[in-house]
Amino acid sequence: MLGLDSLPPSVLYEDMDGGGFTYIRRLIEEGQKWLMRTCHPPITVPAWMVMFTGKTPGELGIYGFRHRRPGEFDYYIVNSSFIKTPTLWDDAGKKGLKVGVYGVPPTYPPRLVHGFMVTDFTTPGPDKPYTFPPWLRRELESRTGPTVFDIVYRSHDKDRVARDLFHMLENHLRQVEYLATRKQWDLFVYVEISVDRAHHAFWKYFDKNHPRYEYHPMYSSVIPKVYKRIDEWFEKLHRRLPKDTIIVVASDHGVKPMKGAFTINQWLIEQGYLKLKEDTTTLKPGTDLRRDLIDWEHTIAWAWGGYYSRVFINLKGREKQGAVDPKYYEETLRQLKRDLERIRGPNGERWDNKAYTPQELYPEVRGDAPDLMVYLDDLWWRPAGTIGWQTNYLPENDRGPDDAVHDWLGVLAVYDLEDTLPKGFMGEIRAEKVKEFIEQLIYQ
Amino acid sequence: MVHKDMTEKVSIEIKRDLYDKAKKFIEEQGGFSSVEELVEFLLEEVLSSEESEERGLSKEDEEKVKERLRALGYI
Repeated sequence: MLGLDSLPPSVLYEDMDGGGFTYIRRLIEEGQKWLMRTCHPPITVPAWMVMFTGKTPGELGIYGFRHRRPGEFDYYIVNSSFIKTPTLWDDAGKKGLKVGVYGVPPTYPPRLVHGFMVTDFTTPGPDKPYTFPPWLRRELESRTGPTVFDIVYRSHDKDRVARDLFHMLENHLRQVEYLATRKQWDLFVYVEISVDRAHHAFWKYFDKNHPRYEYHPMYSSVIPKVYKRIDEWFEKLHRRLPKDTIIVVASDHGVKPMKGAFTINQWLIEQGYLKLKEDTTTLKPGTDLRRDLIDWEHTIAWAWGGYYSRVFINLKGREKQGAVDPKYYEETLRQLKRDLERIRGPNGERWDNKAYTPQELYPEVRGDAPDLMVYLDDLWWRPAGTIGWQTNYLPENDRGPDDAVHDWLGVLAVYDLEDTLPKGFMGEIRAEKVKEFIEQLIYQ
Repeated sequence: MVHKDMTEKVSIEIKRDLYDKAKKFIEEQGGFSSVEELVEFLLEEVLSSEESEERGLSKEDEEKVKERLRALGYI
């Protein structure tokens, strides 16, 4: 299973690959194509684990990289120990299959598997024990060099970003090729994060529909080159695999141009939901919302930015200086939802905003869920959590340049030389059904 | 508090050819006095992180990840 993080259907199915995926697209044309409808929220953590456990983010209790314990202001980061449900590879191992897992977020710290595992970009560093079995790390490094987990891609130094990106990609391809050809496995799951990093750093040079599209002799070719490199590598590898190997190409969500960022906490301040101790105009643009800046006694709600926004109610009895009486909690949520959904664009245009309580989205809500999950203009606008800006509408991300936002549809395509599957376009499959779908392929 | 008898042993079965390979290795290379000792050692090695009370990230590692995610612009 080749996981290409954030690959949208337009690239794999509709010719928007800049000529990159020649081989893989030819394979898929002879196979089965699905649109993979990602989870709420449509982000890498938790999307891959939803696909590999068959559980919704609510059931997993994972709503992003970071979470907040009730009553605390700071956040903690999730890791593999938060995944309490058996994954596709855990169940396959139990059935006697040998498994290989590479780069699936979040798999650090690595767990015991019936095979081998190399962890993902959430690994603290290459000096950490990031493989299973533990001694695989040395073996891998001696043959392929030090492992590269991620790059700093939100940077204006695009030359460096491109260099680092290809360096990381080559590192991963070498390692996966080594593992796939030297180790025994029945199921190999490989997620490549470079695709997502290329999209975020170079999408405006690639997608002609981007509102800030710009042709650049070098940067415009980065994304197609990433696709091409993966495609050529995969063709070579595929020819070395047993003929009856089933190939699955999947992504965790799609991607589309970012129209801009909306300063969600500034809006909460304007609407009277959030009160600061000092005048916001005295703050530097891009100031983090800190606990000590907030006038908690008069604050109803505050928010986090990201690809989606998480809104927290300053609930009495739960928060340290809670101000909202529990008997007004539901009413406050309803009012806030209505107001959030009415936010309009910079020119007064109507936006397609959605604000959900986790209970509306999931059959079960575990872990540290926010009170509201908010998408602005169907994800076209990124919520920015920082404050001190002159306007609520920023042309760029508040955390460094980013050309792309996420989208609801990813891909799931299957190629089986033995021709046991119906071919062609099959419609939509939900992220939490992917595990069951792959299990049917394995155990058919 | 009841302490488990740490010296109590149980029997498990492994493939003959794997056992023979391990036995040959020990006879030629040393390092372990028996196949049982080698198996116990390997199991302890791979299970040590799984049974740790604080499975997951240490405070220091969590800070490292936060720093990286911040540099990456995630948070």
